[in-house]
Amino acid sequence: MVKGGLFAKVLQAGDFAGFSAGWREGDVVPTGFAPLDRLLPAGGVRLGSLVEWLSNGEASGAAALASAVACRLAGDADRAGDAPSTIVVVDRKGRFYPPAVLGWLERARAAGRPAPRLVVARPAHEADEVWAIDQALRCRGVSAVLAWPERIHSTAMRRWQLAARVSLAVGLFVRPLAASHEPSWAEARIAVAAQPGGSLTVRRLRLSLAGGPWAGEPLVQERSVEIGLDLSRGCAAASGQVSPAQPLPVPRILERERMACRAS
Amino acid sequence: MPRIMTIWLPRWAVQRRLIDNPALRKVPVFVCRRERRGVMTIVSWAWALPPRMESVHGGGRPSPPRIPPGMSLAEGMAVLALAHGSRACHVAEIDHDDPAADRAALERLARHSRRFAPIVALEDVERPECIHVDVTGTAGFFGGEAALVRTAAWTLAARGIHARVAIADTVGAAWAAAHHTESFDQRPAQPFRRRRRFAVVPPGEQAAALAGLPAAALRLDAAVLAALREVGIDSIGGILKVSRKSLASRFPSSLAVRLAQFTGGRAEPLAPTFGEELPRAVHVFDVPVSLREMEEDTITAIIERLVERCVGPLLARGEGVTSLQVRFERWAGTGERGPCPPVVIDVGLYRPSIVVRHVVDLVRLRMARVRLPREVESVAVEVVAAALAVCRQRSLFSAESESAAAEVGMLFDRLAGRLGAKAVFEPRIVDDAQPEHAWVGASPAAPGGGAPRASVTRARLAAPAERRPIWLLPRPVPLDVMAVVPAVADAGRPPVRFRYGGEIHEVATAHGPERIETAWWRGPIVRRDYHMVETRSGGRLWIFRRLKDGAWFLHGVFA
Repeated sequence: MVKGGLFAKVLQAGDFAGFSAGWREGDVVPTGFAPLDRLLPAGGVRLGSLVEWLSNGEASGAAALASAVACRLAGDADRAGDAPSTIVVVDRKGRFYPPAVLGWLERARAAGRPAPRLVVARPAHEADEVWAIDQALRCRGVSAVLAWPERIHSTAMRRWQLAARVSLAVGLFVRPLAASHEPSWAEARIAVAAQPGGSLTVRRLRLSLAGGPWAGEPLVQERSVEIGLDLSRGCAAASGQVSPAQPLPVPRILERERMACRAS
Repeated sequence: MPRIMTIWLPRWAVQRRLIDNPALRKVPVFVCRRERRGVMTIVSWAWALPPRMESVHGGGRPSPPRIPPGMSLAEGMAVLALAHGSRACHVAEIDHDDPAADRAALERLARHSRRFAPIVALEDVERPECIHVDVTGTAGFFGGEAALVRTAAWTLAARGIHARVAIADTVGAAWAAAHHTESFDQRPAQPFRRRRRFAVVPPGEQAAALAGLPAAALRLDAAVLAALREVGIDSIGGILKVSRKSLASRFPSSLAVRLAQFTGGRAEPLAPTFGEELPRAVHVFDVPVSLREMEEDTITAIIERLVERCVGPLLARGEGVTSLQVRFERWAGTGERGPCPPVVIDVGLYRPSIVVRHVVDLVRLRMARVRLPREVESVAVEVVAAALAVCRQRSLFSAESESAAAEVGMLFDRLAGRLGAKAVFEPRIVDDAQPEHAWVGASPAAPGGGAPRASVTRARLAAPAERRPIWLLPRPVPLDVMAVVPAVADAGRPPVRFRYGGEIHEVATAHGPERIETAWWRGPIVRRDYHMVETRSGGRLWIFRRLKDGAWFLHGVFA
């Protein structure tokens, strides 16, 4: 109780662990996913902060969700102004496949704004990756930096946090769930787990608070939510679409033992 | 008597790509143009380092396959497969033709060639591969013409550029000699000996020295060559024997013009197209200094001062730096090895810059990746390319967004400076069904002013975004399929259970198939049935069945 009360007072004072210091009132951008906004301490993504997405398995949909949030931040009408904002993807392993995301950026063009630019950087080494993220976060004009670093040293992450504060860029990092035990300077750490069901265009994802200064506080009302991610547009699915679809009838398996596939 | 040096860069379109990405030397590289109905035509191709394999028909190295420009890519691949096996086709790199970029790179090289003489021009054709330098009176500074051509050839070779260089009285003669430098080799022919890369035609002797060269060395078009072949003339000497009057009456006038240009009867002035001289600044040390003993700040301060001296004249012309070269002239000591080649740092910028601090930062980033010489005699900074700098009056309200855009441009410069130009790109969709080739990485142009590359258009996505994974594996991974449904296996249903990443995945739902089949003229045919499968834990994977043998592969992860 004592801890919670203190936290509330600090929040009221507008300075909690340095996260709120110096920010203006309107520096929070909704992610476009209302349940996700409820999980985040500021009710959205705070500009100039870092968010970690802890993925429960490679195919959990965490990278897609982070990309959707990055597109939302880049396409934010109030922030974009006349010049197109830029998303920088730091992809050391060379796995990022732009055709899955490029279509999402066109939504801004349809809305009459300049479409955000997507720029990919492929560093060859871990040190270059850390440096590239730092440089991108330091640059005004970059709205979001998307990366999936395997290891993050606490010092490097602190540097990223300070860099992001200067430029008001948002760092979105997709990491394995095992990283939840590591120290972090992220404002929020969201665990992402894929849920079975959904449809071809809609993915059901369960999000839960997995860390960050906000997670341990009793003020937090909700700790786990479920969202529907519309993969065709990169935004929240309409409420009717989220309901789990009927799985395809799986044919009866005739041979249970392991066998080599000789389909031909 | 004027003296012209011609630097010929064979297959320049491919060479340019090899300079940008040296790793491509190990694979065949095709530069292709998309013709009507999607047929890809080869513009140029090369395989710099083919594997050392024994010829099937006896010992020795197999001769390189003959794939002329204009051949379709499918035919070219077939010829390549005959010579080196089908694996060569699988690893081949295919790139879209970009004549503007080729020309720009050649112009940069032409600027670099100004160190030999002030008058430099490109070959006056649609796709130039030659640089002409007027070296009248300047060869003496390099130890004579023989030393000059050798220096030019090996200077370029040190930068990974294969060039052939020749000096003659006229542009036509120098062009012919550069294209046939091997005919000047007096040494006995040996199978593994490198071809001679340079030649000097003595003054006034081009007719005698080059008489044995084929008629094509006169830069004649195909129709004239065919007409000459019909009457049995196949060499320059044969043409020279025929009287001018007879030539004029029997052949197109272009032959007489080319012949006159070759002999010097008709002037062929060089037309430099590079504008004004670009600035250069040098700092020469009194004695050779050790870079190890010198602090980084000191060498940075020297470079900053040199860059300032270069940027000043450009600023007066309203231009900014787009490409810069820093050279550390090495001290080789008093040994017998002679002067060492300088260590060169090339810095490229995406948009013209007049900010000295920014340019110096880029140089520092590159310096951290280069092994600098132990001792240097001088440091030189040379602007290789400049362009009109965009200078606008600041507006009252949009100043912030303008400066943010400028910062983004600087960010790209810094990222490219440290990670490499190829490691920073802006993805663009291309109209291609094969997922691996459905996008290309374009150079991130200046914000607001960047135009897409000619070969890259705003094509539509081959499939809706929801059907494409966020992560695509660099190479499809074979799946260890554990359970299929035999009754429906032929219908192309995805496997029920498979092993990937040390885990067993059971498929709950699947969407597909999406058949992707490439056309035969594209080269190796790709025929796949893609499925998006959702496992019982909710993970989504993108797998395909290779129709050739029914094997299953994982190609993407809906991460």
